[in-house]
Amino acid sequence: MPAHASTQDDLYQEAAETYGSAVERLARGYEADPDLRRDLLQDIHVALWRSFAGFDGRCSLRTWIYRVAHNVAASHVIRQRRAKSATLVELEELENLPDPSASAAAADRRHVLERLLELIQRLKPLERQVILAYLEGLEAAEIGDITGISPANVATKIHRIKRILARRFQEGGQYNE
Amino acid sequence: MNESPPNDVLKSVWQNQKTEGIRMSADDLRRKAKQFHGKILWRNLREYLAVLAVAALFGFEFWRTTDVLARAGFALTIAGMLYLVWQLYRKGSSRALPAEMGLASGLEFFKRELERQRDLLQNVGKWYLGPLVPGLAIITIASARSNPGHLRHFALFLALYSLIVAFIFVSIWKFNRRAARKLQRQIEELDALKEPR
Repeated sequence: MPAHASTQDDLYQEAAETYGSAVERLARGYEADPDLRRDLLQDIHVALWRSFAGFDGRCSLRTWIYRVAHNVAASHVIRQRRAKSATLVELEELENLPDPSASAAAADRRHVLERLLELIQRLKPLERQVILAYLEGLEAAEIGDITGISPANVATKIHRIKRILARRFQEGGQYNE
Repeated sequence: MNESPPNDVLKSVWQNQKTEGIRMSADDLRRKAKQFHGKILWRNLREYLAVLAVAALFGFEFWRTTDVLARAGFALTIAGMLYLVWQLYRKGSSRALPAEMGLASGLEFFKRELERQRDLLQNVGKWYLGPLVPGLAIITIASARSNPGHLRHFALFLALYSLIVAFIFVSIWKFNRRAARKLQRQIEELDALKEPR
């Protein structure tokens, strides 16, 4: 086995160990159907492994992984949108749309996660990248590196995300942790 | 019982959701990568085969007819279709390799995809419709020449037929140009996101 192949395999192992769960959560944000999500997740893993043959350290391993994963998932959304002709919206539009699941019953942790996923899956791919990275706890600068959006625009989008989340999840009433 | 979840609680709910921990072995990855190549190859092949099947029908007509002008028309149409397949091969499918995906931000990746699709639609006259026109026009003229007995009625039929074909071609061209303009607007929106406010 050539040296670069073992480096490629090693990088993949490191990525899967450290970021496997984050990538799985990311796939969940892009695909609701469990079978399609499993396929998408496998596609992301294969793309990551293939990508490491060209990894040159120009950016951090984390940024690289998120970029590949998001770009594979975004391609998946574009393909699926053609097939299902679903309408995706921007954060700005989402802010003005009513929340169909807002009710006092939306109180437990599981329900919160379901509503969060429902909200994420309605967004256009680039907006999804921002909200998913935000929920993963990434800093604005790194979100900018992954998405390519200017820091000022990332800040605006995060501000909007915070407002949407606060409003939508306050409408649900009480929350049991 | 707390108040509705603030953003840090939502982050915690998100980050602590149960995951399956999918991991693939090196053998699985290599096998899947091979399968992926095969899938792409088959998808492209299906597109080419559809065009080539129509080209084969024209080939049959080329072989059947004895009229030199009609033969020239069929040959030109087949050449136009082969050119179309070549263009489909060159421009048709997305060629982003995984390593490029790691180098490109989400915005750059999208922009590239949209630009590729826009160029394809904007130039549909050049690479899709244009190459078929000379051959089809010659076939039409050859048909008119080969029916001198009923020339008046046939000329009327031919004019109508040519009008319909021209209408279809112009509609396809206009439809694609409109779609290209829509994509251009999306590209400009993406560009705006790169600029500081």
